[in-house]
Amino acid sequence: MARLSTCAKKMKHTPRLPSRNHNVTPVSPIRELLILLGGLVAAMVLIYVLLGLGADLLVEHISPQTEQKLASFFAPKKNPGQGQSAKEQWLQSLVDRMESKKCVRLPYPITVQVSPGKHVNAMALPGGRIVVLDGLLERVRSENEMAFILAHELGHFKHRDHLRGLGRGLVFAVVSTLIGGSDGALAGLVQRSVQVSESSFSRDQESAADSYAQDVLNCTYGHVSGATDFFHHMPKKQDPGAFGHYFSSHPENQRRINSLLNRQQEKHYPNGTRIPLPPGSRKDVSPPK
Amino acid sequence: MYDLVIILILTALGYFAGSWAEQKHYRSIEKREQAMLKVPVTTMKKIKLPRERIEKACLVTGSAVISVDYFKRLLASLRNIFGGTVASYESLLDRARREALLRMRESAPGASLFLNVRIETSTIGRYSAKRNIASLEAMAYGTAVYLRKKNETHAAPAQP
Repeated sequence: MARLSTCAKKMKHTPRLPSRNHNVTPVSPIRELLILLGGLVAAMVLIYVLLGLGADLLVEHISPQTEQKLASFFAPKKNPGQGQSAKEQWLQSLVDRMESKKCVRLPYPITVQVSPGKHVNAMALPGGRIVVLDGLLERVRSENEMAFILAHELGHFKHRDHLRGLGRGLVFAVVSTLIGGSDGALAGLVQRSVQVSESSFSRDQESAADSYAQDVLNCTYGHVSGATDFFHHMPKKQDPGAFGHYFSSHPENQRRINSLLNRQQEKHYPNGTRIPLPPGSRKDVSPPK
Repeated sequence: MYDLVIILILTALGYFAGSWAEQKHYRSIEKREQAMLKVPVTTMKKIKLPRERIEKACLVTGSAVISVDYFKRLLASLRNIFGGTVASYESLLDRARREALLRMRESAPGASLFLNVRIETSTIGRYSAKRNIASLEAMAYGTAVYLRKKNETHAAPAQP
């Protein structure tokens, strides 16, 4: 005890800085970023695969009635033939013809709608709505060509691709918002990676819809001429080419043309004469510039 | 595609500019801390000293505001998912606290010691519309005590 107190008396305080910073964890930030991002990507891939399986299982069991209800969330539905413009009536008549010839069997009526837009595109929306953009109508040169495009969209309805895409896309939008929270950067990153994998997913769907459209065209018109016209008329800049196709939901045009021609030979589908556009609608379809 | 490129550029900028600023700041902190090593800073409220030795005592404050960079925020938002130590923010807080303490000490040159020192931390811009600005403030405050030299105190009572 006495010894200790003498020690204490002799001890002198020498101020010095700590040898290392105890308040900061010594980790390499780059290494931490790689580990965390890797973990996130792995988790997203896992969720994506599981969701894909789940959506595919679910889509088969969505009844047409449920789909109609779902669609009413997105947009009010017009009745076929009601309040349609001349363009829309013509497109509607093409679809109706395929249905009346029993070439297309869908559990609900299909409505065609024309929307203003410069892009050369058409979409299949839930509830049996096909939206055709003006940009596409201006490019079309024959009835057969237009019928192929419509039949392609009908193929998406037949295979229920529109629901599949929606199911995954919808759940992913929700998941990425939940994870990313208010941080825009992270949510953006997640959505970007999702879009890339979603595109490759729908490439197979596009090819399947092409095949379906070819069958419908042969059934309706007795030949498949005009099936590949659309791909020739598509503007060059919208053809992603061999390099960029991973970022596009449409496989490169030449590939699709080739696969349609091969399929035509396999199935022995004949060629025939293309039906020109209706005389009145030509002016209507592509207004003078 | 372009927004992805912008995110990458911002992250890289945040990493390089942020680490450069941090290293520079740490060098400055360590140099100044070394220089002020001999002045004690303590959380004690009272200290036993004869009254006549105290020349004056006054409130001193020092505060520092430091901003988070894009890279650190990305790391922290990833940590929000997985949990764990948010190391990227630790250095920010550490720098802010030490800088605030240094500024407090620098605001009272010649002080013999600092008593009852406290540090407060708060975030700035956390509730701004998009939460894109996030900074933190550390504020240090205490009582600076100036002591008379021992021979001066002996002389003082003899005056009257």
